[in-house]
Amino acid sequence: MLTEASRIHDRAWVTQCALSRICGGCAMSLSRPVAFLGTLDEVNRNAFHLPPMHRECAEELLEAPGADPEWQLVTTAGFEFVRPGRDEIETQPTFQPNSLLG
Amino acid sequence: MAIADVKEYTHLSEEDVEQLGRELDAIRTEIEESRGDADAAYINRLIKIQRYLAIAGRLSLMLGTQNKKTRVPAAVTGATLLGLHKILENMEIGHNVMHGQWDWMNDPEIHSSNWEWDTAQPAEQWKHSHNYVHHQFTNVLGHDNDIGYGILRMAREQRWHPHYLGQPIFNALLASLFQWGVALHDLDIERIRKGEKDPKEMKRQLKQIFKKGRNQVLKDYLVYPALSGKQWKTTLKANASANLMRNLWSYMIIFCGHFPDGALHFTEEELEDETRSEWYLRQMLGSANFTGGPLLHVMSGNLGYQIEHHLFPDLPSNRYAEISVKVRELCAKYDIPYTTGPLHRQYGQALRTIMKLSVPNSWTSSDQPEPPGPVAERRRKSDEERQPRRQELGGWSRSPREWGDS
Repeated sequence: MLTEASRIHDRAWVTQCALSRICGGCAMSLSRPVAFLGTLDEVNRNAFHLPPMHRECAEELLEAPGADPEWQLVTTAGFEFVRPGRDEIETQPTFQPNSLLG
Repeated sequence: MAIADVKEYTHLSEEDVEQLGRELDAIRTEIEESRGDADAAYINRLIKIQRYLAIAGRLSLMLGTQNKKTRVPAAVTGATLLGLHKILENMEIGHNVMHGQWDWMNDPEIHSSNWEWDTAQPAEQWKHSHNYVHHQFTNVLGHDNDIGYGILRMAREQRWHPHYLGQPIFNALLASLFQWGVALHDLDIERIRKGEKDPKEMKRQLKQIFKKGRNQVLKDYLVYPALSGKQWKTTLKANASANLMRNLWSYMIIFCGHFPDGALHFTEEELEDETRSEWYLRQMLGSANFTGGPLLHVMSGNLGYQIEHHLFPDLPSNRYAEISVKVRELCAKYDIPYTTGPLHRQYGQALRTIMKLSVPNSWTSSDQPEPPGPVAERRRKSDEERQPRRQELGGWSRSPREWGDS
């Protein structure tokens, strides 16, 4: 249930999800695999902005009103959480999946 | 003080800080690109050893205690092996697996989502209280609950109150019952005391703690003693000793991570705007290492490399030793303190702080070393530019579904 979907762009929430290893969509503990939603650009750069999610939550979010039509779903076993640097293009934390699955 | 005001690095220009950050990034990238089979073999080997220790300990207690001649040595051996198993499982395996250090292996068992450790705190609550609250708000007073675990005064900036006179006793209790102190950690005693804790969330957490704690008690104090038949008392005592051994050890290692002289505390939290380099700096200045051989580091969960662990909490712990060489070189290059020393000295300093801060500041002097170098010209943010204080810290954001279930 996407109770936290409205917060997926909130930086503090994204950080909390990354470190507590909870789903950005429902706030429950993540499971394996971990799912990320991102645009083609994010997929190509392997740098996602939305928090990690359960696969089911990500699929539900893809179908939800307001979903970005460009979003693609990527699954991974693990990820790196990268805080933004001062002079970088990224101004928000990003997630870099490190063991992509299927 | 905010990280931007910390004397220990105000001799650095903004460009120096960013360059330091880039050099730390390069270390991170190097480890990420080189991690592989040898690292996987390491954690698999450790898990096997830990399980053999548990089996040997349990067998020693169940079988060795049946004979009068071997009872005492079997009990001592069993308790020791079990204690070592618990230490290894909690420190080097559980703690690090739950950081996601081994998620890249794609092993369904050795994964941050699935590992449940042999201690009273539920893994889910640990990942919040430790991975998020402690690692994100490291040594920020009022936010990082690891500063004294809600019962000890560990920084001179914390206001003194007469009840801190009991600090030496509270400390001894915390050390002996550390497993249970950690179990209650995510409840956030301070927020409960102030009436800020959501009662539904508290109830949900208490239920989770009760369930996990009950299972631990049943395992160590009912099931395994029962399997020892007439010698159930011996096994019960041995299990209690193993838990005590793990409690004292993990307490000491954890207190060496942030409370020896040189590890700083911070009193502001403009973390929203903190750059990666500033975050790195806060982690380095707020943490302390201890020195020792490879076995000591493994039994400490590699937390003797606390600085490296705080810089890179999700990199495999077996790589911290090699990372530490480079981090130390960077600290020398940028004239930043790299706090380290033998275990007995680091713990001695933490213990001295506990004793000194049990009385008012005016009765004692600070033990913090002098910072290096002259202060460089640095621009600080005005109050208008700063982020407002965070409000949601310490509380979970839970779905109504979950609350409804509790």
